[in-house]
Amino acid sequence: MSLEKKYAKEVKQILAKYPPEHKRSAVMPLLYLAQREEGYVNKESMKDIAKILDITETEVASIVGFYSLYHDEKAGKYRMQVCTDLPCALRGADEFLDKLCGNLGIKVGETTEDGLVTVEAVMCLAACDRAPMFQTQGPDGIKYHEYMTLDRTMELIEALKGGKE
Amino acid sequence: MSKQVTLTINGKQVTAPEGLTVADAAKLAGVDIPVFCHHPKLEPVGMCRMCLVEIGRPVFDRATGQPVMENGQPKIQFMPKLETACTNRVSEGMVVLTQSEKANDGQRGTVEFLLTSHPLDCPICDKGGECPLQNLTMEHGSGKSRFNYDEKQHLEKMVPLGELIYLDRERCIQCARCIRFQDEVAGEAVLGFDERGRHTQIISISEPGFDSVFSGNTTDICPVGALTTVDFRFGARPWELKAEASICSQCPVGCNTTLNTRREAKAGGEIVVKRVMPRQNEEVNEIWLCDKGRFAYHYTEGKERLTKPMVRKDEKLARASWDNATKTAAENFVANKKDFVVLASGRLSNEDLFNLKSLADTAGGEAILYSDMDGGELTQLVGVGAGTNLGTMGKGDAILVIASDLYEEAPIWWLRVKQAADRGATVIVANPRATKLDRFATYTIRYSYGDELKTINDFEKKSKISDAFTKAKNAVIFYGNEGLGVTGTSVLSSACANLLKETGHTGSANNGLIGVWQRANDQGAFEIGFRPVADLEKALKNKAVYIVGADPVGDDPNLAKALKNVKFVAVQDIRETATTEIADVVFPAQAFTERDGTLISGERRVQRFYAAVPAVGDSKPDYAITAMLAKQMGVILQGTSASVVFDILANSVEALNELTYDALAQVKEQWPLVGRNDVYYGGTTYDNTKGLGVQLIPLAQAGGAVKISKVRKEAALRPKDKELLAVPSNKLYDLGVTVQTAEFLEQRIGETSVAMHPTTAKKFEAAEGQVVKLSFDGVQAEAVVKFDETIGTGVVRIPRSMGIAIREPVVAKVQVKAAAGKAK
Repeated sequence: MSLEKKYAKEVKQILAKYPPEHKRSAVMPLLYLAQREEGYVNKESMKDIAKILDITETEVASIVGFYSLYHDEKAGKYRMQVCTDLPCALRGADEFLDKLCGNLGIKVGETTEDGLVTVEAVMCLAACDRAPMFQTQGPDGIKYHEYMTLDRTMELIEALKGGKE
Repeated sequence: MSKQVTLTINGKQVTAPEGLTVADAAKLAGVDIPVFCHHPKLEPVGMCRMCLVEIGRPVFDRATGQPVMENGQPKIQFMPKLETACTNRVSEGMVVLTQSEKANDGQRGTVEFLLTSHPLDCPICDKGGECPLQNLTMEHGSGKSRFNYDEKQHLEKMVPLGELIYLDRERCIQCARCIRFQDEVAGEAVLGFDERGRHTQIISISEPGFDSVFSGNTTDICPVGALTTVDFRFGARPWELKAEASICSQCPVGCNTTLNTRREAKAGGEIVVKRVMPRQNEEVNEIWLCDKGRFAYHYTEGKERLTKPMVRKDEKLARASWDNATKTAAENFVANKKDFVVLASGRLSNEDLFNLKSLADTAGGEAILYSDMDGGELTQLVGVGAGTNLGTMGKGDAILVIASDLYEEAPIWWLRVKQAADRGATVIVANPRATKLDRFATYTIRYSYGDELKTINDFEKKSKISDAFTKAKNAVIFYGNEGLGVTGTSVLSSACANLLKETGHTGSANNGLIGVWQRANDQGAFEIGFRPVADLEKALKNKAVYIVGADPVGDDPNLAKALKNVKFVAVQDIRETATTEIADVVFPAQAFTERDGTLISGERRVQRFYAAVPAVGDSKPDYAITAMLAKQMGVILQGTSASVVFDILANSVEALNELTYDALAQVKEQWPLVGRNDVYYGGTTYDNTKGLGVQLIPLAQAGGAVKISKVRKEAALRPKDKELLAVPSNKLYDLGVTVQTAEFLEQRIGETSVAMHPTTAKKFEAAEGQVVKLSFDGVQAEAVVKFDETIGTGVVRIPRSMGIAIREPVVAKVQVKAAAGKAK
């Protein structure tokens, strides 16, 4: 089903926020809407959004490509995005990431077998003083997790399994 | 003229129009500032930083508003850092230093950065030799890189953006010229950037890939070898190529082109055309060319080219001498003097058509234009005035496009009309279905097939739309033959001419009527006196026919039948066709690439094309063949050279009086400056050194009486149950001989499909993708059904030249093909 049909109300609400002649600006919230379901924006949704906003699919894909919070490939239900920039690294982020991956039996960028978590290394999330830290991007939005240890992270993953963050 | 400002560039005082960028102003003054992302036809973005210069501006006293003086001179304040010449506009008293130590250092640094990951594959790169990056590296590069070669990125080198354009990701410097061209100029944003930073790359996810008929232009303005065409990729090195001026022979726009040629081992050592490039003519095609014009020239090559005259002997065509062939034809034409018919198309030049017309006139024959479209007499009368330049139309002007899909029929006109809309012109699109121009139209009128006349007559009633048209400063009407044949276009053109006359939009520049003809020189054929006929079958029956540059047998089974019952057929063409197969005599003609001549565009611009490659076999130019044939028939015509024929033509056709080949070859300075040595500024488009052509003066402008015959309405066709109204429309890439031969265009040509409204299809129980049988008027055909929700019900739209013969609207029986029908 097309995005416009499935989320008729939400699409209408989003479009109402922008003047009709600048409706292309609605591309960002529409992409979040499209991403909500499967954790990434599939080709069909890009087509739908292009049609709704009267722009080309390539323009939509270009925006998905530019912003790191939009994804065009399927991943785990939750993306665990660990900051590995220099200040975080000084507070042990690299070591933390290594251990986490080892514990989960995956490499950076991979997804756990149960499809729950994808671990990613990302650039600055503006919480250097509270590293090791990561953000989770999942169906409920984005959440920060700071001063993390391996144990606390594994607890979080258990909770995520139960559907709670 | 806009306000001029005075500034100093490298110590030289120059004046430039206010609002111009520093980079453009410098160019105008003869100072080259190196650029990559900047292009004079695109909005400035300042992405590449190549044009870094020092800019100083006069200091003004805040209290008095007067310039602060220092040693008797205005005090100039330079910015602490370098600025980009492409994003800063010139202002009064500005001081620009493009070659100071600081500026040079900035430019050198930018080149060094750009080269950190650029491959060193110039020796095998298509752009090598005409590459801005190569040239600017020679000029501004440091010769050595301080970066580590091992850290160069290695990326995919052959990414098809579509099947026509390939991207080399390593070579791309992310200037976005291609993306911006597609977005700003073509209005089809099918290219974009994916990712960011060092991972940035060009993508296209349209279907089909890079879905734009203007895609080839991106390879011209690409400042590196990142974008190449499937046709020229690894085809030749630019410095091996010779360049000859030509005119595109695909449609009535008359784009100025350059044919690049080279001696080719693969072609047995012959000199062949390697690529078609745009040649600047700001009043016609600017510096652009559509993909059909760029890629479809291959029909002038190949085994199917006719090389020797042939005469039918014992049921078979056998090679003959020119003397024998012309004599045989002449004898037959003289013997059937009363039934002599010349059937010629607008693929021919004026010189060819003039000799053909002279022969028909002198020998007492009839000259028929092979076309489904009429109205050329009216474009002679109220065609656009001399001095017309769509590029100057904008706010306050109106353009009406009726019964034409310009994007499919004349892409560069589509582009120019779209740009006029961008500049504020009122664009009115009247068509029975949605077309790509609708997006840029101020008003869209959707009428039912058959209501063309009513649509124009409605302009006499008061409405927003008629008001906008009537009150426009200037107004142009483009009319085509969507859903119409000879009779229908005759009616429509009269109605359009009347509307223009009544609203006072005739007889001056940027006012008048333009026919969106099927072929490049249909306008020329009308000027010379050729006319199409409504019933071609009847006109050919039992005649002795001289067919030139047309394939009626291949196009239409009814015409094939008619030509079986004729007294004699002589066919003159460049390629073997279904018509040459049934001919009694065949004359091999030269292609437009092999000879010179002139064409007249839909805007009535007479333009010259030149011989670029040697002729194939024993072929001769059409006008020369006709002169030889005429001689055998006792008629003396000139056939020695195109220019001699043109002189006589200019003498006898009033509109062309006083025109000479010299006049057509005149050029003047155009803006932006392109070609020459600085390919980095305007791209690899060719500068125009061989002629801008001359626009003819329509009778209305010359002060002649404008009489337009009364419009008679055609009787409407009434389909019965189980029947539909079948209407023709036009497709850019079709199965016509001038397109089909370029194999890589196969995908764009696609399968033969017919369009119906879903409701209509439902009535016939046809699903989308299903095959239907169509039968009308002696034609039996099968085609895949495609849905078009924008056309009326009870209609089936059939593309011309896609294997189903349709010249005008007809009533068709439709049947869904059972079981065997393929569902997509």
